[in-house]
Amino acid sequence: MDCRELDNLLYAYLDGELVDDERVAVEGHLAGCDACRAATDREHSTLLLIRSRAKAGGARAPDALRERLSQKLGDELKVRRVRAIGRLAAAAAGLAVCTVVAHSSWRSHQRRLYVEDAVNRHARSFPLEIEKPSPEQLEAWFDGKLDHRVAVPRFQNVVTQGGRLLNVRDRQAAYIRYDDRGRRLGLFVYSDKPGDVDVTEPEVDRSNGFNTVTWRDGDVVYTLVTDLDDDDIRQMLPQHRIPEDAVPAHAPTVQPAAFSH
Amino acid sequence: MLGLKSNTQMKAEFEQLAMPCLDGLYASALRLTHSDRDAEDLVQDAFMRAYRFFDKFERGTNFRAWLFKILTNTFINKYRRQVKERSFSEGSERESVTAQLFSADATETAANPEDHLLDRLLSEEVLSAIDHLPIDFRMVVILADLQEFSYREIAEILDVPVGTVMSRLFRGRKLLQKHLQSYANAQPNQAIDLNEYRNRKKLG
Ligand SMILES: [Zn+2]
Repeated sequence: MDCRELDNLLYAYLDGELVDDERVAVEGHLAGCDACRAATDREHSTLLLIRSRAKAGGARAPDALRERLSQKLGDELKVRRVRAIGRLAAAAAGLAVCTVVAHSSWRSHQRRLYVEDAVNRHARSFPLEIEKPSPEQLEAWFDGKLDHRVAVPRFQNVVTQGGRLLNVRDRQAAYIRYDDRGRRLGLFVYSDKPGDVDVTEPEVDRSNGFNTVTWRDGDVVYTLVTDLDDDDIRQMLPQHRIPEDAVPAHAPTVQPAAFSH
Repeated sequence: MLGLKSNTQMKAEFEQLAMPCLDGLYASALRLTHSDRDAEDLVQDAFMRAYRFFDKFERGTNFRAWLFKILTNTFINKYRRQVKERSFSEGSERESVTAQLFSADATETAANPEDHLLDRLLSEEVLSAIDHLPIDFRMVVILADLQEFSYREIAEILDVPVGTVMSRLFRGRKLLQKHLQSYANAQPNQAIDLNEYRNRKKLG
């Protein structure tokens, strides 16, 4: 090894990156070359100085940033949980969650208008037209009243309290009310052939203190309105494992265990 | 239930791994963006992106390197253009300074008796000299000397061969030393007046 070769390997040597043979060769040359040894010492102390100065002056992450990130992680978790409930509901109803790719802010805006209207109507507690039906009876009752089929999702420990016809904006919808130990959930099922409601995978929105999940099965859109918090949502879900990011394909991946009977 | 619980577990696992890296991410983002606000935005973007892709992270591999890979990618894709545009006029002067330093035999080892002058340098000057490095050199210097990643990790983070890491680090460090040497030589004995120093820097 000559002085030039050593110069090329100097940093790798100082950074502890050289493996046995190369390291031995470098050390062999340094033992016999005063000039290179002096240069190596200088480089070494310069490197240490730069590193220590740079570190001493390095800023710590501001507390505000730290707090904001914790907050955002929490928000993201809530959205994931509510989305999971949407997927589960879709799966329980035996639906495919279609991925119609359509990203325009106008359509997102449209979705929010539908969601807000659904929330307002759910909050007004309209009288039910059929009370205490089984999910099967409820499906039969809606059959023929709307120009689309209504599949009623079943949730663990949650009973179908009843149903009625109710509009969501300009759309005729099936409205299904569930009771979860005294708390109400409302599900709107309406047709959206024009594709005005922008939804690909289950979308979570918040309106008037309610969480909503909206998902789509072909031309049919589902909007679930809940005031459940995380714990309630967890208890509502079936007790067996569901792949958390599995979007049901064509057949429901959640089999009878998801049903409440 | 378990589907949701594992979301919770994943968040806890992510926080446990990522939060200790936050200072390093922010300090590096500052060197990349030259601005507190952009640095915070960059870290936030990278952090949330990492969380969303956390299921893609291969357990048992190097999480910190994975996080820095996301940080540098985010910077390259999103911020680099903005930073460039904003500091264009300033940048062109800066380019000429580095070009000048670079052409003046940047590979020469600093073998002169004034070496100890570097001892007087302040942290702020060292950081500023790093900030002035061209971006490709700056990234390897940040990763090697501020974050102490190995060559292999840096190659992984920047998606370049180890040989490229070595040559960029070589040239980056030499350039940095030249820059620092010129600061040190310009301020023989007195304590450095930071305002004057900043003005001098602006003039290029
Ligand atoms: Zn030699």
